Amino acid sequence: MKTILSVENLIKKYKNFKAVDDLSFDVKKGEILGLLGPNGSGKSTTINCILSLLKFESGKITIFGCEMRPDAYDIKKDIGVVFQEVAVFEELNVIDNIDYFCGLYIKDKEYRKKCIDDAIKLVGLEDFKKFYPKQLSGGLLRRLNIACGIAHKPKLVFLDEPTVAVDPQSRNNILDGIKKLRDNGATIIYTTHYMEEVEILCDRVIIIDKGKIIASGTGDELKELSKIEEKVTVEIDSLDEKILEEIKQFKNVDEATYNNGILFITYKKGKNNLSSLIDYLKKVDVHYDKIYSERPTLNDVFLYLTGKELRD
Amino acid sequence: MTVFKTFSQVLNKYKATVLMYTVMLVLFGGLNFKTSDNNVNFTASKPDVLIINEDENIGITKDFIDYLSEYTNIKDIENNEDSINDALFYRDVNYIIYIKPNFRESILSNSPNKDEQFKQLISSSDRTIVEIKTTGDYQASIADMLVNKYLHLADIYSNTFEDENEIINHIQKTLSLEVETELTSKVDTNTLSQVTFYYNFLSYSVLAGCVYVICLILSSFKNKEINKRTIISSMNYKSFNLKLLLSNCLFAIVLWLIYIILGFLLVGSIPTNYLIIYIINSFIFTICSVTIAFFISNLINNKNAINGIVNVVALGSSFLCGAFVPMEWLPDFVLKIAHVLPSYWYIKTNELLKGVEVFNSITLKPIITNMLVLIVFIIAFVVLTNIVTKLKLKK
Repeated sequence: MKTILSVENLIKKYKNFKAVDDLSFDVKKGEILGLLGPNGSGKSTTINCILSLLKFESGKITIFGCEMRPDAYDIKKDIGVVFQEVAVFEELNVIDNIDYFCGLYIKDKEYRKKCIDDAIKLVGLEDFKKFYPKQLSGGLLRRLNIACGIAHKPKLVFLDEPTVAVDPQSRNNILDGIKKLRDNGATIIYTTHYMEEVEILCDRVIIIDKGKIIASGTGDELKELSKIEEKVTVEIDSLDEKILEEIKQFKNVDEATYNNGILFITYKKGKNNLSSLIDYLKKVDVHYDKIYSERPTLNDVFLYLTGKELRD
Repeated sequence: MTVFKTFSQVLNKYKATVLMYTVMLVLFGGLNFKTSDNNVNFTASKPDVLIINEDENIGITKDFIDYLSEYTNIKDIENNEDSINDALFYRDVNYIIYIKPNFRESILSNSPNKDEQFKQLISSSDRTIVEIKTTGDYQASIADMLVNKYLHLADIYSNTFEDENEIINHIQKTLSLEVETELTSKVDTNTLSQVTFYYNFLSYSVLAGCVYVICLILSSFKNKEINKRTIISSMNYKSFNLKLLLSNCLFAIVLWLIYIILGFLLVGSIPTNYLIIYIINSFIFTICSVTIAFFISNLINNKNAINGIVNVVALGSSFLCGAFVPMEWLPDFVLKIAHVLPSYWYIKTNELLKGVEVFNSITLKPIITNMLVLIVFIIAFVVLTNIVTKLKLKK
């Protein structure tokens, strides 16, 4: 598959602090690449370097096969960016805001009008065309922010945490919009610290911490890095220490803890772990309220790799 | 067109502010035209004089009193010390002249000390043939001038002629001579004063309008996040900045044109050479206001702070430089401070222009110098803006 973006040995320093430390990765045509990492891990700095908004110490950035520079307008015309902060004019309504940002790329009035309509449809702002930003809710404002960034139908889209502080309805709408963008042929780089979004959206994930790539691959590949395969949670009023010790001796159990009425067991691998546990609890006559099993998340991977939570 | 179109749309949001400054200009500038007295005639002022004649009211003494009666208002006040002092204190009279008993005799005598006597008479208050008490105001000065004029003539003719009637005839003949005066200026000075006031006030409206509107618009365009979007777009950033600059200049020029047309409507026509200089001066000042607005907008991006900045910059400099009150009413130290403000040089040009009768290299030199100072301000603000921009980019 054709490489759309290539980052080689990127280093960005703020005085003595390395915000981006020898970062290298490629993005293939049509894929959604997730840049996952906690706040301050260097995701936004990486994007700003790629977009030539920040100067960097060393490294090479190639987009569409050409080296990216601040004056590379031929490359820029096919790039769309949605920043974390909402960037719209307070004085303009929805349609005029999109028209302005689209107009920075497209001169043809008729084509621009079509692009604006498509963008409004994509983010679901049809009923708010004449609304001013002040009249929009946080979620709608985020959708407008996205529409302004992608109205000119870019081939490469950077989405920098576009769902921060957004209500669930708007979040779903935004995620659907991003999928549609990909379906229309765009390549997307999506930065976030919400692992659920990455798991839903991304074909490939790069996990960044302290400016370095600590893992990369598909969601499943990354989860394999984690030593656990299944997590089981049981709500039990009281549990004897002896029973807990016996559970720890079960086949495949990695760890078992009991705290505040919750029994939490992690399994390295294996099948029928849950049914075996239920049978045992019946046998020893332990009553439980709820019991459920989960697959490990990227947060578990991150926890495994760094020893800390993604949202720390 | 995208930049200009959005500029117009954002500007449209601030039209009420522009309208407010225009209404202020029309109200204050226009009100000045309506309330000003258009009468350019003048009448000679007659001081109130009390004559206490201790000499005989005959001959040259009578002629002197008759002469004073013609050009002053003779007051009748009781001849005692208290009444006279009260009259002076309460300004019932401006001038009291005591004609000494030897007045007539001294003038007509061929005393060898006569010249010396007259010198004293004219230069000193301790006079030998007349004694004077005055309020010291300009009315008293007029009376003093009349007295001195008569006594000078009496001195000249008494040296030449012996006969009292002959002396009186010559004095009267000389005093009756009138100098024909003609106003060389073809300009209605009152109208010029009104136009000057209008153009002085215009400095406030233009400066406040430009700083307020341009700063607000630029704070939108140069908002950190919006600016990032602009930088990463396919529009050349230099071209974008140029379009933005031209849009701002166009706004300022349209604003200036409206104010010039309003000036025409309010004041009517004035001689072309005056008008051209007023227009050129205000145009240079408008461009200077644009550069000031650009400089401020580079320093401050907070929309809430802009209102305060307008008050400090526009209102402050207008007060300090005499946009609302005549420059001559301002204390010297205020005017010295005002030298560092462009408004001072703009208003100074208007004030100089008001006093110009003939246009030549001498009268135009200070006006052109002031305009050049304004141009230096424009260059300085452009350079400062560039420095601030580069420093911000470095950051």
